[in-house]
Amino acid sequence: MENNPEESLLQMHVDYEGGQILRETVRWSRFLSVAGIIGLALCLLVVAFAGSALLAALSRVAPGIDALGGIAGAIVLTAVLIVAAIFGFLVYMLYRFSVLTRRGIDHQDQAAFVEGMRCLKIYFVGSGILALLSLLSNLFSLTKLF
Amino acid sequence: MQDQTITSESLLPDNFFSVAFDAAARAQVKQAAVWAKVCTLCAFAGYGLELIVAIFARPDYTTETQGLRIGAFLKMGNIFGVIIASAIGVIINYFLYRFAVVTARGMDSMDIGKTNEGFNNLRVYFKIYGILLIVALSLGALVLLVAIGVGLSKR
Repeated sequence: MENNPEESLLQMHVDYEGGQILRETVRWSRFLSVAGIIGLALCLLVVAFAGSALLAALSRVAPGIDALGGIAGAIVLTAVLIVAAIFGFLVYMLYRFSVLTRRGIDHQDQAAFVEGMRCLKIYFVGSGILALLSLLSNLFSLTKLF
Repeated sequence: MQDQTITSESLLPDNFFSVAFDAAARAQVKQAAVWAKVCTLCAFAGYGLELIVAIFARPDYTTETQGLRIGAFLKMGNIFGVIIASAIGVIINYFLYRFAVVTARGMDSMDIGKTNEGFNNLRVYFKIYGILLIVALSLGALVLLVAIGVGLSKR
């Protein structure tokens, strides 16, 4: 990718040490993302094949579910699919970060490198929103305590 | 004039790669760092809240029979578990926090050393998560094998 000198002065080139650090970072993030994708797929398979048994177990924990009748299954299935879609999107972004950043460094592809960083940003934005929601949930459990 | 011209190459003696943190990449990394910091601060606050909930939660007296203080024992176990989980979480999230702070500083000051240090913290963060995942999967596989072994021996 050719740049003029003015643009190059506003850039911070990745040096050898940085390249090695990024390579190892993307190696671990790829492992985590692949494990996450496999884990999500297994969860969906469990829900698909043992959904009725899970619903029966859930109705023992929350007896109110029985009152909903046949809609309960649809509600639980929708909730599971939404959660799976959110986590699947985050894990996919982590995977894209690892693949694109690796490609950017290996092939000296600036566009892929920038896209990889964008995927890292999206991953952290999603994780941050989930962390905020989790904190709110913790605060809610604290208000129930007192 | 020709000799006084400063080229980007002369400013970058360690320029092994042609990929760079240009304006677009720096903007993305800075936003990633901001949200990574949000993640860590929420996590730290969450660990504190979980500890408070575990300490102040009322013990389950329904489990106390024949003079045995099982409820209080379970509560102590819960507090101990929360402390261990929080300690591990704090250690992991400390590296993410360092990534957020140091990388943002590196991006602002155009310092490749700080940027490398920041991404090294992200590497450690992912590595610890990866190792914990491997340990958890290994334990899960072990439990599965033991369960299969027990199931086969009962036949």
